[in-house]
Amino acid sequence: MNHPMNGAAAVSGLGMTEMGRVYRSTIDLASEAVYLAIDDAGIDKSELDGLLINTGITRGLDLHLHVALGLQELNLLTFMQGYGSSAGQMIQYAAMAVANGLAKNVACVFADAPLVDGQRTGASYSGGRRFGGDALSSLHGLYGFTGAIPMFAMAAQRHMDLFGTTRDQLGQIAVSQRAWAGLNERATKREPITLSEYHDSPWVVEPFHVLDCCLVSNGAICVIVTSAEQARDGQQPPVYIRGFAQGHRHDTGQTVPDSAIRGPGSRSASRALAMADASLGEITQCQLYDCYTYTVLVTLEDYGFCEKGEGGAFVENGRLGPGGALPTNTGGGELSSYYMWGMTPISEAVIQGRGQAGERQSSNDLIICSGNGGMLNYHSTVVLSPETAS
Amino acid sequence: MSKSEDESWLPKPSSRTAPFFEAASEGKLRLQCCDDCGTWTFPYRERCQHCGSRSIVWRDASGRGTLYSHGLLQRAYHPRHEDRLPIILAQVDVTEGVRLSTNLVDVEPDAVKVGMEVEVAFESLPDGSIIPVFRPATD
Repeated sequence: MNHPMNGAAAVSGLGMTEMGRVYRSTIDLASEAVYLAIDDAGIDKSELDGLLINTGITRGLDLHLHVALGLQELNLLTFMQGYGSSAGQMIQYAAMAVANGLAKNVACVFADAPLVDGQRTGASYSGGRRFGGDALSSLHGLYGFTGAIPMFAMAAQRHMDLFGTTRDQLGQIAVSQRAWAGLNERATKREPITLSEYHDSPWVVEPFHVLDCCLVSNGAICVIVTSAEQARDGQQPPVYIRGFAQGHRHDTGQTVPDSAIRGPGSRSASRALAMADASLGEITQCQLYDCYTYTVLVTLEDYGFCEKGEGGAFVENGRLGPGGALPTNTGGGELSSYYMWGMTPISEAVIQGRGQAGERQSSNDLIICSGNGGMLNYHSTVVLSPETAS
Repeated sequence: MSKSEDESWLPKPSSRTAPFFEAASEGKLRLQCCDDCGTWTFPYRERCQHCGSRSIVWRDASGRGTLYSHGLLQRAYHPRHEDRLPIILAQVDVTEGVRLSTNLVDVEPDAVKVGMEVEVAFESLPDGSIIPVFRPATD
Protein backbone atom coordinates (compact mmCIF):
# COMPACT_ATOMS: atom_id res chain seq x y z
CA MET A 1 0.00 0.00 0.00
CA ASN A 2 1.35 3.39 -0.92
CA HIS A 3 2.46 5.57 1.98
CA PRO A 4 0.60 8.92 1.87
CA MET A 5 3.91 10.81 2.04
CA ASN A 6 5.52 8.85 -0.83
CA GLY A 7 5.86 11.54 -3.49
CA ALA A 8 3.48 13.96 -1.79
CA ALA A 9 6.06 16.74 -1.73
CA ALA A 10 8.96 17.79 -3.94
CA VAL A 11 11.96 20.06 -4.08
CA SER A 12 11.12 22.99 -6.33
CA GLY A 13 13.99 25.36 -5.66
CA LEU A 14 17.70 25.24 -4.89
CA GLY A 15 19.93 28.15 -3.96
CA MET A 16 23.67 27.82 -3.42
CA THR A 17 26.07 30.65 -2.63
CA GLU A 18 29.75 30.60 -3.43
CA MET A 19 31.55 28.23 -1.04
CA GLY A 20 34.92 28.23 0.64
CA ARG A 21 36.96 31.15 1.94
CA VAL A 22 34.11 33.58 1.47
CA TYR A 23 34.39 36.11 4.27
CA ARG A 24 30.78 37.19 4.61
CA SER A 25 28.44 36.96 7.56
CA THR A 26 26.41 33.82 8.05
CA ILE A 27 23.19 35.80 7.86
CA ASP A 28 24.18 37.45 4.55
CA LEU A 29 25.09 34.07 3.10
CA ALA A 30 21.81 32.57 4.30
CA SER A 31 19.79 35.43 2.85
CA GLU A 32 21.49 35.12 -0.52
CA ALA A 33 20.81 31.37 -0.62
CA VAL A 34 17.12 31.97 0.06
CA TYR A 35 16.86 34.60 -2.69
CA LEU A 36 18.70 32.31 -5.11
CA ALA A 37 16.31 29.48 -4.27
CA ILE A 38 13.25 31.68 -4.78
CA ASP A 39 14.55 32.73 -8.21
CA ASP A 40 15.38 29.14 -9.05
CA ALA A 41 11.87 28.01 -8.11
CA GLY A 42 10.32 30.88 -10.06
CA ILE A 43 8.21 32.11 -7.16
CA ASP A 44 7.80 35.53 -5.63
CA LYS A 45 9.13 36.20 -2.15
CA SER A 46 5.55 36.81 -1.00
CA GLU A 47 4.78 33.17 -1.85
CA LEU A 48 7.37 31.93 0.63
CA ASP A 49 5.32 31.08 3.72
CA GLY A 50 7.59 28.66 5.55
CA LEU A 51 11.16 28.99 6.83
CA LEU A 52 13.25 26.34 8.58
CA ILE A 53 16.68 27.47 9.76
CA ASN A 54 19.80 25.52 10.69
CA THR A 55 23.36 26.66 11.25
CA GLY A 56 26.73 25.05 11.84
CA ILE A 57 29.63 25.23 14.25
CA THR A 58 29.75 29.03 14.56
CA ARG A 59 26.03 29.30 15.35
CA GLY A 60 25.81 32.40 13.19
CA LEU A 61 22.08 32.12 12.49
CA ASP A 62 19.04 32.14 14.68
CA LEU A 63 15.31 32.51 14.35
CA HIS A 64 15.68 36.15 13.31
CA LEU A 65 16.77 35.28 9.78
CA HIS A 66 13.17 36.01 8.76
CA VAL A 67 13.70 39.65 9.70
CA ALA A 68 16.69 39.98 7.38
CA LEU A 69 14.57 38.39 4.67
CA GLY A 70 11.60 40.70 5.35
CA LEU A 71 9.15 37.81 5.56
CA GLN A 72 5.89 38.99 7.11
CA GLU A 73 3.46 36.26 6.03
CA LEU A 74 5.06 33.13 7.42
CA ASN A 75 2.82 30.22 8.36
CA LEU A 76 5.73 28.05 9.50
CA LEU A 77 8.94 29.19 11.19
CA THR A 78 11.45 27.44 13.38
CA PHE A 79 15.15 27.18 14.14
CA MET A 80 16.37 23.61 14.38
CA GLN A 81 19.49 21.75 15.36
CA GLY A 82 20.23 18.10 14.72
CA TYR A 83 23.85 18.63 13.66
CA GLY A 84 24.63 16.81 10.43
CA SER A 85 21.17 15.24 10.34
CA SER A 86 19.49 18.68 10.28
CA ALA A 87 19.25 19.20 6.52
CA GLY A 88 17.47 15.88 6.03
CA GLN A 89 15.25 16.68 8.98
CA MET A 90 14.28 20.08 7.55
CA ILE A 91 13.25 18.44 4.27
CA GLN A 92 11.12 15.98 6.23
CA TYR A 93 9.28 18.57 8.34
CA ALA A 94 8.82 20.76 5.26
CA ALA A 95 7.41 17.84 3.27
CA MET A 96 4.90 17.04 6.00
CA ALA A 97 3.93 20.71 6.30
CA VAL A 98 3.25 21.23 2.58
CA ALA A 99 1.48 17.89 2.22
CA ASN A 100 -0.89 18.81 5.03
CA GLY A 101 -1.63 22.39 4.15
CA LEU A 102 0.34 24.07 6.91
CA ALA A 103 2.39 25.98 4.34
CA LYS A 104 2.83 26.11 0.56
CA ASN A 105 6.49 26.89 -0.03
CA VAL A 106 8.96 26.10 2.74
CA ALA A 107 12.55 27.30 2.52
CA CYS A 108 15.03 25.05 4.35
CA VAL A 109 18.30 26.91 4.83
CA PHE A 110 21.72 26.08 6.21
CA ALA A 111 24.53 28.62 6.50
CA ASP A 112 27.84 28.75 8.31
CA ALA A 113 31.06 30.75 8.21
CA PRO A 114 33.70 28.86 10.20
CA LEU A 115 36.57 30.11 8.03
CA VAL A 116 37.95 33.36 9.43
CA ASP A 117 40.45 35.49 7.52
CA GLY A 118 43.93 34.94 8.93
CA GLN A 119 43.00 31.82 10.90
CA ARG A 120 43.90 28.26 10.00
CA THR A 121 41.22 26.14 8.33
CA GLY A 122 40.21 24.00 11.28
CA ALA A 123 40.35 26.74 13.91
CA SER A 124 36.59 26.99 14.46
CA TYR A 125 36.28 23.23 14.83
CA SER A 126 39.35 22.50 16.95
CA GLY A 127 40.76 25.76 18.23
CA GLY A 128 39.52 28.55 20.41
CA ARG A 129 38.52 25.96 22.99
CA ARG A 130 38.34 26.63 26.66
CA PHE A 131 40.80 24.32 28.30
CA GLY A 132 39.50 25.10 31.76
CA GLY A 133 35.93 24.63 32.85
CA ASP A 134 34.63 21.67 34.75
CA ALA A 135 37.56 19.51 35.82
CA LEU A 136 36.27 16.25 34.38
CA SER A 137 35.33 17.89 31.08
CA SER A 138 38.75 19.50 30.89
CA LEU A 139 40.31 16.02 30.89
CA HIS A 140 38.86 15.43 27.43
CA GLY A 141 41.07 18.04 25.79
CA LEU A 142 44.00 17.10 28.00
CA TYR A 143 43.89 13.50 26.79
CA GLY A 144 43.63 14.75 23.19
CA PHE A 145 39.96 14.39 22.38
CA THR A 146 39.41 17.69 20.59
CA GLY A 147 36.66 18.04 17.99
CA ALA A 148 35.14 15.09 16.18
CA ILE A 149 38.25 13.71 14.46
CA PRO A 150 39.59 11.54 17.32
CA MET A 151 36.30 9.74 17.88
CA PHE A 152 35.75 9.00 14.17
CA ALA A 153 39.39 7.99 13.73
CA MET A 154 39.03 5.54 16.60
CA ALA A 155 35.78 4.23 15.16
CA ALA A 156 37.61 3.55 11.89
CA GLN A 157 40.46 1.91 13.82
CA ARG A 158 38.03 -0.44 15.55
CA HIS A 159 36.60 -1.38 12.16
CA MET A 160 40.14 -2.05 10.93
CA ASP A 161 41.12 -4.13 13.96
CA LEU A 162 37.91 -6.18 13.92
CA PHE A 163 37.39 -6.69 10.18
CA GLY A 164 40.79 -6.16 8.61
CA THR A 165 39.68 -3.00 6.80
CA THR A 166 42.78 -1.37 5.33
CA ARG A 167 44.12 2.15 4.97
CA ASP A 168 44.07 1.62 1.19
CA GLN A 169 40.35 0.98 1.38
CA LEU A 170 39.66 4.20 3.28
CA GLY A 171 41.86 5.93 0.72
CA GLN A 172 39.77 4.55 -2.15
CA ILE A 173 36.83 6.58 -0.86
CA ALA A 174 38.86 9.80 -0.87
CA VAL A 175 40.27 9.06 -4.35
CA SER A 176 36.83 8.23 -5.85
CA GLN A 177 35.24 11.36 -4.48
CA ARG A 178 38.06 13.58 -5.68
CA ALA A 179 37.56 12.14 -9.15
CA TRP A 180 33.91 13.22 -8.97
CA ALA A 181 34.92 16.68 -7.74
CA GLY A 182 36.95 17.13 -10.90
CA LEU A 183 33.64 17.12 -12.75
CA ASN A 184 32.01 19.68 -10.45
CA GLU A 185 32.88 23.31 -11.04
CA ARG A 186 31.52 24.21 -7.60
CA ALA A 187 33.98 21.88 -5.88
CA THR A 188 36.77 23.41 -3.81
CA LYS A 189 39.31 20.61 -4.40
CA ARG A 190 39.28 19.43 -8.01
CA GLU A 191 42.81 18.19 -8.66
CA PRO A 192 42.75 14.39 -8.90
CA ILE A 193 44.60 12.47 -6.17
CA THR A 194 46.22 9.05 -6.27
CA LEU A 195 46.19 6.49 -3.50
CA SER A 196 49.87 7.23 -2.99
CA GLU A 197 49.16 10.95 -2.54
CA TYR A 198 46.45 10.01 -0.06
CA HIS A 199 49.00 8.05 1.98
CA ASP A 200 51.44 10.98 1.83
CA SER A 201 48.83 13.38 3.19
CA PRO A 202 49.73 14.48 6.76
CA TRP A 203 48.38 12.55 9.72
CA VAL A 204 45.84 14.12 12.02
CA VAL A 205 44.85 11.22 14.27
CA GLU A 206 45.94 7.87 12.85
CA PRO A 207 44.37 6.16 10.97
CA PHE A 208 43.11 9.50 9.56
CA HIS A 209 45.14 11.64 7.20
CA VAL A 210 44.04 15.16 6.34
CA LEU A 211 42.50 13.61 3.21
CA ASP A 212 40.20 11.44 5.34
CA CYS A 213 38.60 14.58 6.74
CA CYS A 214 36.01 16.87 5.20
CA LEU A 215 36.69 20.41 4.11
CA VAL A 216 35.72 23.45 6.11
CA SER A 217 33.59 25.85 4.08
CA ASN A 218 31.80 29.15 4.40
CA GLY A 219 28.56 29.36 2.45
CA ALA A 220 24.86 28.66 2.46
CA ILE A 221 22.38 26.40 0.73
CA CYS A 222 18.60 26.73 0.60
CA VAL A 223 16.14 24.15 -0.65
CA ILE A 224 12.48 24.99 -1.27
CA VAL A 225 9.93 22.26 -0.65
CA THR A 226 6.43 22.42 -2.04
CA SER A 227 3.57 20.02 -2.79
CA ALA A 228 4.05 17.57 -5.65
CA GLU A 229 1.10 19.16 -7.40
CA GLN A 230 2.59 22.65 -7.28
CA ALA A 231 6.08 21.40 -8.16
CA ARG A 232 4.77 19.98 -11.44
CA ASP A 233 3.93 23.53 -12.52
CA GLY A 234 7.27 24.89 -11.32
CA GLN A 235 10.14 26.40 -13.22
CA GLN A 236 12.47 23.47 -12.50
CA PRO A 237 12.01 19.74 -13.00
CA PRO A 238 10.49 18.49 -9.73
CA VAL A 239 12.53 16.21 -7.52
CA TYR A 240 10.02 14.18 -5.55
CA ILE A 241 10.50 13.34 -1.90
CA ARG A 242 9.73 9.66 -1.92
CA GLY A 243 10.70 8.49 1.52
CA PHE A 244 12.32 9.68 4.71
CA ALA A 245 13.10 8.73 8.29
CA GLN A 246 15.40 9.50 11.19
CA GLY A 247 17.29 7.47 13.76
CA HIS A 248 18.94 8.81 16.90
CA ARG A 249 20.72 7.27 19.86
CA HIS A 250 23.37 8.02 22.44
CA ASP A 251 26.24 5.93 23.64
CA THR A 252 27.30 5.59 27.24
CA GLY A 253 29.52 2.65 26.47
CA GLN A 254 27.12 0.42 28.38
CA THR A 255 24.11 0.05 26.18
CA VAL A 256 25.47 0.21 22.63
CA PRO A 257 28.65 -1.86 22.60
CA ASP A 258 29.22 -1.65 18.86
CA SER A 259 28.45 2.05 18.50
CA ALA A 260 31.63 2.79 16.53
CA ILE A 261 30.77 0.33 13.80
CA ARG A 262 26.96 0.33 13.82
CA GLY A 263 25.04 3.59 13.50
CA PRO A 264 21.34 4.39 13.66
CA GLY A 265 21.39 4.72 9.85
CA SER A 266 20.29 1.14 9.46
CA ARG A 267 16.93 1.79 11.09
CA SER A 268 16.55 5.15 9.35
CA ALA A 269 17.26 3.81 5.84
CA SER A 270 14.98 0.80 6.08
CA ARG A 271 12.07 2.97 7.22
CA ALA A 272 12.75 5.57 4.51
CA LEU A 273 12.82 2.85 1.85
CA ALA A 274 9.60 1.37 3.19
CA MET A 275 7.92 4.77 2.81
CA ALA A 276 9.24 4.95 -0.77
CA ASP A 277 7.95 1.41 -1.37
CA ALA A 278 11.39 0.61 -2.73
CA SER A 279 14.16 -1.85 -2.07
CA LEU A 280 17.83 -1.04 -1.66
CA GLY A 281 18.54 -2.71 -4.99
CA GLU A 282 16.54 -0.01 -6.76
CA ILE A 283 18.84 2.76 -5.52
CA THR A 284 20.86 4.06 -8.46
CA GLN A 285 23.09 6.53 -6.64
CA CYS A 286 24.06 7.55 -3.10
CA GLN A 287 24.65 10.97 -1.61
CA LEU A 288 26.08 10.11 1.79
CA TYR A 289 27.19 12.38 4.59
CA ASP A 290 30.97 12.12 4.50
CA CYS A 291 32.47 14.11 7.34
CA TYR A 292 35.18 11.41 7.11
CA THR A 293 35.97 8.62 4.66
CA TYR A 294 34.91 6.17 7.35
CA THR A 295 31.44 7.73 7.58
CA VAL A 296 30.80 6.69 3.97
CA LEU A 297 32.01 3.15 4.65
CA VAL A 298 29.94 2.67 7.79
CA THR A 299 26.83 4.19 6.18
CA LEU A 300 27.08 1.87 3.15
CA GLU A 301 27.19 -1.05 5.59
CA ASP A 302 24.43 0.27 7.84
CA TYR A 303 22.20 0.88 4.82
CA GLY A 304 22.77 -2.72 3.73
CA PHE A 305 24.70 -2.25 0.48
CA CYS A 306 27.09 -4.85 1.89
CA GLU A 307 27.41 -6.91 5.05
CA LYS A 308 28.77 -5.35 8.23
CA GLY A 309 32.54 -5.54 8.06
CA GLU A 310 32.69 -5.84 4.28
CA GLY A 311 32.60 -2.12 3.51
CA GLY A 312 36.33 -2.02 2.85
CA ALA A 313 36.17 -4.55 0.03
CA PHE A 314 32.94 -2.96 -1.22
CA VAL A 315 34.51 0.45 -1.92
CA GLU A 316 37.50 -0.99 -3.81
CA ASN A 317 38.09 -0.83 -7.57
CA GLY A 318 36.36 2.51 -8.00
CA ARG A 319 32.87 1.20 -7.27
CA LEU A 320 31.82 4.59 -5.86
CA GLY A 321 33.61 6.77 -8.41
CA PRO A 322 32.86 7.95 -11.96
CA GLY A 323 31.94 4.92 -14.07
CA GLY A 324 31.55 2.77 -10.96
CA ALA A 325 28.59 0.51 -10.21
CA LEU A 326 27.30 2.67 -7.34
CA PRO A 327 27.90 6.38 -8.02
CA THR A 328 28.36 7.96 -4.59
CA ASN A 329 28.89 11.59 -3.62
CA THR A 330 28.94 12.57 -7.25
CA GLY A 331 29.75 16.21 -6.58
CA GLY A 332 32.87 15.31 -4.60
CA GLY A 333 31.07 15.26 -1.28
CA GLU A 334 32.16 17.01 1.89
CA LEU A 335 35.65 15.60 1.40
CA SER A 336 36.26 17.46 -1.86
CA SER A 337 33.42 19.80 -2.88
CA TYR A 338 32.09 21.84 0.05
CA TYR A 339 31.10 21.19 3.65
CA MET A 340 27.58 22.47 4.16
CA TRP A 341 26.78 19.77 6.70
CA GLY A 342 23.75 17.75 5.53
CA MET A 343 23.04 20.17 2.70
CA THR A 344 26.06 18.83 0.79
CA PRO A 345 24.41 15.47 -0.01
CA ILE A 346 20.94 17.02 -0.38
CA SER A 347 22.03 19.72 -2.84
CA GLU A 348 23.89 17.24 -5.04
CA ALA A 349 20.87 14.91 -4.98
CA VAL A 350 18.63 17.75 -6.17
CA ILE A 351 21.04 18.63 -9.01
CA GLN A 352 21.24 14.96 -10.00
CA GLY A 353 17.50 14.44 -9.60
CA ARG A 354 16.84 17.28 -12.03
CA GLY A 355 19.29 15.84 -14.53
CA GLN A 356 21.40 19.00 -14.33
CA ALA A 357 24.71 17.46 -13.26
CA GLY A 358 26.37 17.76 -16.68
CA GLU A 359 29.43 15.57 -17.08
CA ARG A 360 28.86 13.89 -13.76
CA GLN A 361 25.18 13.11 -14.34
CA SER A 362 24.47 9.59 -13.11
CA SER A 363 21.44 7.36 -13.24
CA ASN A 364 19.00 9.20 -11.00
CA ASP A 365 15.96 6.93 -10.80
CA LEU A 366 16.19 6.64 -7.03
CA ILE A 367 18.68 8.59 -4.92
CA ILE A 368 19.34 7.92 -1.23
CA CYS A 369 20.75 10.74 0.92
CA SER A 370 22.09 10.45 4.44
CA GLY A 371 22.78 12.99 7.15
CA ASN A 372 24.91 12.20 10.17
CA GLY A 373 25.45 14.15 13.37
CA GLY A 374 27.61 13.55 16.40
CA MET A 375 29.57 10.32 16.62
CA LEU A 376 27.00 8.33 14.63
CA ASN A 377 24.38 9.61 17.07
CA TYR A 378 21.93 11.55 14.89
CA HIS A 379 20.82 10.30 11.51
CA SER A 380 18.38 11.28 8.77
CA THR A 381 17.63 9.61 5.44
CA VAL A 382 15.83 11.11 2.44
CA VAL A 383 14.97 9.24 -0.76
CA LEU A 384 14.56 11.47 -3.83
CA SER A 385 13.54 10.77 -7.42
CA PRO A 386 12.55 12.61 -10.60
CA GLU A 387 9.64 10.14 -10.77
CA THR A 388 6.64 10.41 -8.49
CA ALA A 389 5.19 7.36 -6.77
CA SER A 390 3.58 4.91 -9.19
CA MET B 1 53.01 34.37 28.45
CA SER B 2 53.91 31.39 26.24
CA LYS B 3 51.58 28.47 25.87
CA SER B 4 53.76 26.26 28.05
CA GLU B 5 53.55 28.74 30.91
CA ASP B 6 49.82 29.03 30.55
CA GLU B 7 48.43 26.58 33.05
CA SER B 8 44.80 27.62 32.70
CA TRP B 9 44.14 24.17 31.25
CA LEU B 10 44.97 22.36 34.48
CA PRO B 11 41.92 20.63 35.94
CA LYS B 12 40.34 22.60 38.77
CA PRO B 13 38.16 20.12 40.65
CA SER B 14 34.99 21.34 42.29
CA SER B 15 33.37 19.71 45.29
CA ARG B 16 31.39 17.61 42.82
CA THR B 17 34.37 16.24 40.94
CA ALA B 18 37.08 16.28 43.65
CA PRO B 19 36.62 12.57 44.56
CA PHE B 20 37.89 11.55 41.12
CA PHE B 21 41.10 13.54 41.51
CA GLU B 22 41.60 12.67 45.20
CA ALA B 23 41.38 9.01 44.25
CA ALA B 24 43.94 9.46 41.48
CA SER B 25 46.37 10.98 43.96
CA GLU B 26 45.87 7.84 46.06
CA GLY B 27 46.57 5.64 43.03
CA LYS B 28 42.95 4.62 42.48
CA LEU B 29 40.30 4.98 39.80
CA ARG B 30 37.11 6.20 41.44
CA LEU B 31 33.85 6.56 39.48
CA GLN B 32 30.23 7.22 40.32
CA CYS B 33 27.93 4.29 40.95
CA CYS B 34 24.19 4.07 41.57
CA ASP B 35 23.44 2.66 45.03
CA ASP B 36 20.01 1.52 43.84
CA CYS B 37 20.61 -0.25 40.54
CA GLY B 38 24.38 -0.66 40.54
CA THR B 39 24.98 1.15 37.24
CA TRP B 40 28.32 2.96 37.03
CA THR B 41 28.59 6.31 35.31
CA PHE B 42 31.13 8.80 33.97
CA PRO B 43 31.38 11.78 33.62
CA TYR B 44 29.71 13.37 36.63
CA ARG B 45 25.94 13.15 36.99
CA GLU B 46 23.52 13.96 39.79
CA ARG B 47 21.18 11.18 38.80
CA CYS B 48 21.69 7.66 37.62
CA GLN B 49 21.46 7.67 33.84
CA HIS B 50 19.87 4.21 33.95
CA CYS B 51 17.23 4.27 36.70
CA GLY B 52 17.07 7.96 37.53
CA SER B 53 17.94 7.48 41.20
CA ARG B 54 19.70 10.26 43.09
CA SER B 55 21.46 7.71 45.28
CA ILE B 56 24.64 8.02 43.35
CA VAL B 57 27.96 7.60 45.17
CA TRP B 58 31.67 7.60 44.39
CA ARG B 59 33.19 4.14 44.56
CA ASP B 60 36.61 2.67 43.77
CA ALA B 61 36.63 0.81 40.46
CA SER B 62 38.81 -2.17 39.64
CA GLY B 63 40.99 -0.10 37.34
CA ARG B 64 40.96 -2.86 34.76
CA GLY B 65 39.34 -3.01 31.36
CA THR B 66 39.65 -3.83 27.69
CA LEU B 67 40.56 -1.53 24.83
CA TYR B 68 37.48 -0.59 22.81
CA SER B 69 39.48 1.40 20.28
CA HIS B 70 42.55 3.54 19.79
CA GLY B 71 44.08 6.25 17.62
CA LEU B 72 47.40 8.03 17.38
CA LEU B 73 47.26 11.78 17.92
CA GLN B 74 49.78 13.43 15.59
CA ARG B 75 48.83 17.09 16.01
CA ALA B 76 48.94 19.24 19.11
CA TYR B 77 45.59 20.83 19.92
CA HIS B 78 46.32 21.32 23.62
CA PRO B 79 49.18 22.96 25.53
CA ARG B 80 49.84 19.63 27.27
CA HIS B 81 50.64 17.92 23.95
CA GLU B 82 53.53 20.09 22.83
CA ASP B 83 56.68 17.98 22.52
CA ARG B 84 54.78 14.85 23.56
CA LEU B 85 53.45 13.63 20.21
CA PRO B 86 52.44 11.11 19.15
CA ILE B 87 50.00 10.34 21.95
CA ILE B 88 47.94 7.15 21.99
CA LEU B 89 44.25 7.96 22.33
CA ALA B 90 42.22 5.17 23.84
CA GLN B 91 38.68 4.25 24.70
CA VAL B 92 38.72 1.78 27.56
CA ASP B 93 35.74 -0.30 28.62
CA VAL B 94 36.39 -0.71 32.34
CA THR B 95 35.01 -3.87 33.89
CA GLU B 96 32.34 -1.85 35.70
CA GLY B 97 30.75 -1.10 32.32
CA VAL B 98 31.81 2.48 31.62
CA ARG B 99 33.71 3.55 28.52
CA LEU B 100 36.47 6.04 29.34
CA SER B 101 38.26 8.29 26.87
CA THR B 102 41.88 8.28 28.01
CA ASN B 103 45.49 7.76 26.96
CA LEU B 104 47.42 4.53 26.68
CA VAL B 105 51.03 4.64 27.91
CA ASP B 106 54.01 2.28 28.27
CA VAL B 107 53.39 0.60 24.91
CA GLU B 108 54.54 1.02 21.32
CA PRO B 109 51.73 2.24 19.03
CA ASP B 110 52.17 -0.76 16.71
CA ALA B 111 51.47 -3.15 19.58
CA VAL B 112 48.10 -1.62 20.42
CA LYS B 113 45.08 -3.72 19.39
CA VAL B 114 41.36 -3.54 20.04
CA GLY B 115 40.43 -5.95 22.82
CA MET B 116 43.75 -5.88 24.68
CA GLU B 117 43.61 -6.00 28.48
CA VAL B 118 44.57 -2.76 30.15
CA GLU B 119 44.93 -1.39 33.66
CA VAL B 120 44.93 2.06 35.18
CA ALA B 121 48.19 3.97 35.58
CA PHE B 122 48.82 7.53 36.71
CA GLU B 123 50.43 10.65 35.33
CA SER B 124 51.51 13.84 37.08
CA LEU B 125 50.59 17.29 35.82
CA PRO B 126 52.81 20.36 36.29
CA ASP B 127 50.93 21.46 39.42
CA GLY B 128 51.42 18.07 41.06
CA SER B 129 47.90 16.86 40.50
CA ILE B 130 47.47 13.32 39.21
CA ILE B 131 45.28 11.98 36.44
CA PRO B 132 44.51 8.38 35.48
CA VAL B 133 45.71 6.94 32.18
CA PHE B 134 45.91 3.27 31.11
CA ARG B 135 48.68 0.84 30.20
CA PRO B 136 48.75 -2.81 29.06
CA ALA B 137 47.75 -5.14 31.92
CA THR B 138 50.81 -6.42 33.76
CA ASP B 139 49.41 -9.74 35.01
